[in-house]
Amino acid sequence: MVEVTGLSKTFGKDTEVLKDINLKIKKNEVVAILGPSGTGKSTLLRCLNYLCEPTTGTVRVGNVTVDAAHHTRQEVRNLRRQSAMVFQGYNLFKNKTAKENVMEALVTVQKKPKAEAEQIALKLLEKVGMLERKDFYPAKMSGGQQQRVGIARALAVNPDVLLFDEPTSALDPELVGEVLNTIKQLAEEDTTMILVTHEIRFARNVATRIIFMDGGQIVVDGTPEEVIDHPENPRLRQFLNFVTK
Amino acid sequence: MKFNWEYFFQTLPYVASKLNITLSLTIISAIFSLIIGMVFALISYYKVVGLSQLLKVWVSFIRGTPVATQLFFFYYGLANLSSWILNMSPTVAVAVIMSLNMGAFVSETIRGSLISVDEGQREAAMSLGMSGWQMTSRIVIPQAIRVALPPLFNDLINLFKMSSLAFLVGVRDVMGAAKIEGANTFQFFECYACVMLIYWVITLILTAFQKVLEKRCDSIYA
Ligand SMILES: Nc1ncnc2c1ncn2[C@@H]1O[C@H](COP(=O)(O)OP(=O)(O)OP(=O)(O)O)[C@@H](O)[C@H]1O
Ligand SMILES: [Mg+2]
Repeated sequence: MVEVTGLSKTFGKDTEVLKDINLKIKKNEVVAILGPSGTGKSTLLRCLNYLCEPTTGTVRVGNVTVDAAHHTRQEVRNLRRQSAMVFQGYNLFKNKTAKENVMEALVTVQKKPKAEAEQIALKLLEKVGMLERKDFYPAKMSGGQQQRVGIARALAVNPDVLLFDEPTSALDPELVGEVLNTIKQLAEEDTTMILVTHEIRFARNVATRIIFMDGGQIVVDGTPEEVIDHPENPRLRQFLNFVTK
Repeated sequence: MKFNWEYFFQTLPYVASKLNITLSLTIISAIFSLIIGMVFALISYYKVVGLSQLLKVWVSFIRGTPVATQLFFFYYGLANLSSWILNMSPTVAVAVIMSLNMGAFVSETIRGSLISVDEGQREAAMSLGMSGWQMTSRIVIPQAIRVALPPLFNDLINLFKMSSLAFLVGVRDVMGAAKIEGANTFQFFECYACVMLIYWVITLILTAFQKVLEKRCDSIYA
């Protein structure tokens, strides 16, 4: 479903943030990416849909492959259509209601008729528990509500893989639960997801696979039992000790 | 010396009748400065290589020199180089300078409003596979308009006041008519009082309108 080969990213002249990342993710996997701050987790996720252009390497999502060495704008747009991203800061369109946010890509990118897009949007808003607020603008929604609409918006394009970059870390503690529950529900439906998170316990419960990144590299890659319950790598142990304290 | 109220009220309708010139100048320059401002703003928003740097210099030049000087430089200075300017009617020359001058300010207002739409929303649009134009037309511009309208209306009020410079090149606008009338009767006090009153009243009306607009802009999308 997702395949990353020889991916590296250098900002400016010599800040190498990602070093030769190789990664394969199968359909229905729920992959959590953990790691200390500044190790390139967000950068990796953003390279998957070219919000951030890799320096070298190829990214394949679904049946679209883009090579950093030579790619066209159209290829990048095709790649982006295979995935959808849920942002730390929600990033809802502020001039659109909850329903319109979810409909937007259906109408503009997939060229669906309005009525059909609306049907899909209402169904998805119901799924994330936001049907009642369908006509609210983002300014009138709490962070948790905005993020659930953000998830519905991402689901709308029926992506091969959902990308989450710390979807709960901007939320007040009492609002984290509602968003995690929504994500958990998606995981139970076998949605393919890649999730950068600092919620270790959540990752342990929901993910089918956990990746630990450090210094721009994948250091550990295994099942939640292996990675969280029986960590062997010293850097991983240090990290887990640090965050669970 | 005493303020001659009778003469004041006698002159007021005459001076006010020149509002058609003042308002035409304002409206025509408003339209052109808006067009100039939008084109300039898009050039700097999209960071068009070469042009956007050139525009920066232009805007700083326009904003850093007095508009009366710009008018004279254009109408009396550049006219030496161009017969087109030499044969231009003073009213057109004033409109050109007002449009160029305000265009530079308007472009800054519009550019600022475009940038005010946060990067996150742009990223969201791109990540969904929307094209650059879809993103700009459906997400960025609707929000930018809301931000830009109140300051643009302010620019319009400034343009209205700026039009009084027309008298400098002999146009009989409100200010020009009062100046000529005053020169004939030597009752400058009353004549310029008429001008002050007329500008003040119109500005008050425009400002009231702006308040309503501001409220509307604040409450949309909320
Ligand atoms: N646009 C950029 N220009 C320059 N450096 C950048 C840019 N974006 C990220 N970096 C650098 O790349 C490194 C990795 O950043 P990244 O955001 O991927 O880390 P992260 O693992 O997501 O961290 P966090 O857990 O804090 O979100 C950081 O050192 C950061 O300063
Ligand atoms: Mg990050």
